[in-house]
Amino acid sequence: MQDVPEYVIWTLKVVAVFGGLIATAAIMSLAERKVSAWMQYRYGPNRVGPFGLFQPLADGIKFIFKEELIPAGANKFMFRLAPALAAIPSMMTIAVIPMGTTAVVDGRAIPLSIAQIDIGAMYLVAIGSLSIYGMILGGWASNSKYSLLGGLRASAQVISYELTLLLSILCVVALSGSLDLTKIVESQQHVKDWNIFTPMGVIAFINFTIASFAETNRHPFDFAECEPELVGGFHTEYSAMRFALYFIGEYCAMTVMSCLNATLFFGGPSVPFLPEAHWALGMLAFFVKAGLFLFLFLWVRWTLPRFRFDQLMRLGWKVMLPIALFNLLVTGAWIAFAADA
Amino acid sequence: MVVLQRKELTLAERMYLPEVLRGLSITFSKFFEKPMTRLYPEEPLPTNEVTRGQPRLVVKDDGNIACVSCGMCEIACPAYAITIDGGETDRPIEREPVRFEIDMLRCILCGFCEEACPKDAIFMSDELELAGFSRESLVYGIEQLKRPKSELQKRIDYVYRLNKRWRRAP
Repeated sequence: MQDVPEYVIWTLKVVAVFGGLIATAAIMSLAERKVSAWMQYRYGPNRVGPFGLFQPLADGIKFIFKEELIPAGANKFMFRLAPALAAIPSMMTIAVIPMGTTAVVDGRAIPLSIAQIDIGAMYLVAIGSLSIYGMILGGWASNSKYSLLGGLRASAQVISYELTLLLSILCVVALSGSLDLTKIVESQQHVKDWNIFTPMGVIAFINFTIASFAETNRHPFDFAECEPELVGGFHTEYSAMRFALYFIGEYCAMTVMSCLNATLFFGGPSVPFLPEAHWALGMLAFFVKAGLFLFLFLWVRWTLPRFRFDQLMRLGWKVMLPIALFNLLVTGAWIAFAADA
Repeated sequence: MVVLQRKELTLAERMYLPEVLRGLSITFSKFFEKPMTRLYPEEPLPTNEVTRGQPRLVVKDDGNIACVSCGMCEIACPAYAITIDGGETDRPIEREPVRFEIDMLRCILCGFCEEACPKDAIFMSDELELAGFSRESLVYGIEQLKRPKSELQKRIDYVYRLNKRWRRAP
């Protein structure tokens, strides 16, 4: 193990994380339908394989073989580019999330995140919000009024909630004293140190969760693809695999947000009451935490009705932004005056 | 003029978050309940004698059908689904169909043939499923329409009971 070159380990990590993310997106597409079915006294997909487990596979094959339509007036280059632009940023952001502490295999220490950069949180926010370009471009390039409206709404919404999201992350960064996600995790080794157990952390957590729903265009804030008003929103004109790519992007963004939520507020791979636990157990704890947040995404989607667009804007600018700002102020004051005392 | 009196919302309701949690708890409580959906091909629909399925020819205990090819059902059929060619037989009833076809794609399961039949030869069964690879394969002849009397007994009894109600007292 000691003489395995560094790049092999890197490649293995990248393949594992990327494959895992895509697999999660596939499982989420099945889980979404299963969860909705269970909440509505139904069975959900159960024909393909045991309990319908191979449904994502069948969907994938179907999407690949379907005919792809491009509207006559569409900007063909942008139309083809947009889904990739929407999907790639959320796949890139998973790189900085520490899936565990440090794995020790044959005496060799392997950090369990692809990239350990000093400004992980900032990188994540900066790259993560790029995926909105995919939606705007897709909406604009489709040459359809519904798509354009969907894209516009998505951009307005993401800009509004990006602020709250950032300010909530800043709270955690201030509490932990580092932008490095690995350091943020290290500062929450014990359960009592988890950021959720500080008063500022609770408010930041609620703000972050709500803003992450808006960021990923999920219910109750899915105005970008608001079916009753906009047919399909920005992806109205998309078909076949490009349509699927938008959804892979959405599910990947959900996964990253769930991972980030677990990392920032619930100690990431820290196992409750076992601060010195084995790294594999830590990884499992991390996946369980992230999985619970993924379930929350689905749970909320099948419970709450959609907001109205003006309500969304009012909530974002008049309620959540002031709360987030005030929370950051309190956090700063607490660190300056109370933390050392 | 109707003045709509809107309910004053309490503070908790206006804060929205407690109500969100209440909604989430409601959906979660439904999570583990038994589904109401029927898994159709594995769990067939429940039928009883009132079910008006596809018409079938009753095979009597002696192995023959009761049809005398009178053509009453052919005339009664509103969808022109029934075609009958009559022929002779040595049995006491003297006439029997040489060809009795029901086009199942035309049949609307109305039950008029059952009502029209003077010889209790045709009854509605509880068979509802119909599938085939060609239109021709779904034009059923005598052999495909035959059903033993025991299978249709419940329906026969039901029709007798029903008709008795309509009959005027002597």
